[in-house]
Amino acid sequence: MLYLLSFLVLAMLGVGIAIIFVKDILNAVILSTVVSLVASIIFLYIASPDVAITEAAIGAALTTVVFVIAIKHTKSKETSDKE
Amino acid sequence: MILTLSFVLIGLAVLFSLIRLFKGPTVFDRILAADTLAVITTALLVLMSLLFSRVIYMDVALVYVVLGFVGVVVVARYLEGGL
Repeated sequence: MLYLLSFLVLAMLGVGIAIIFVKDILNAVILSTVVSLVASIIFLYIASPDVAITEAAIGAALTTVVFVIAIKHTKSKETSDKE
Repeated sequence: MILTLSFVLIGLAVLFSLIRLFKGPTVFDRILAADTLAVITTALLVLMSLLFSRVIYMDVALVYVVLGFVGVVVVARYLEGGL
């Protein structure tokens, strides 16, 4: 079952690198949700289900809600230059 | 035997979802790929609970499938213009 752990770590690394290269900031928030998801599976794999529950609750729901509300209440750089 | 086959099929599903997550030109493709990845991951968590023969691992899948719904709904409401 070492293949599963290798696949998970490589997927997490790929998504984490992809966060740097996306242009839209909302895409980065969605990709960070996926990073938290893979981290939750890795925590479960190394036999710590309580940490996995906490990571799933915070990473899936709370981080996304806070980031999207923050994007909603701020302006992007282009619109603030025009005004 | 059937467990290995299930892991291989879930790995393929995760791989194709990750391809759409990386390539997806719009935000809608990426949020749809993230939601699909959450559903596939729930199946993976239940399968890992079966593999390790621990009932407590099933709670992680339960928490994730309840709370992963919230993030998708928040991003969808933001794209709709509500929130």
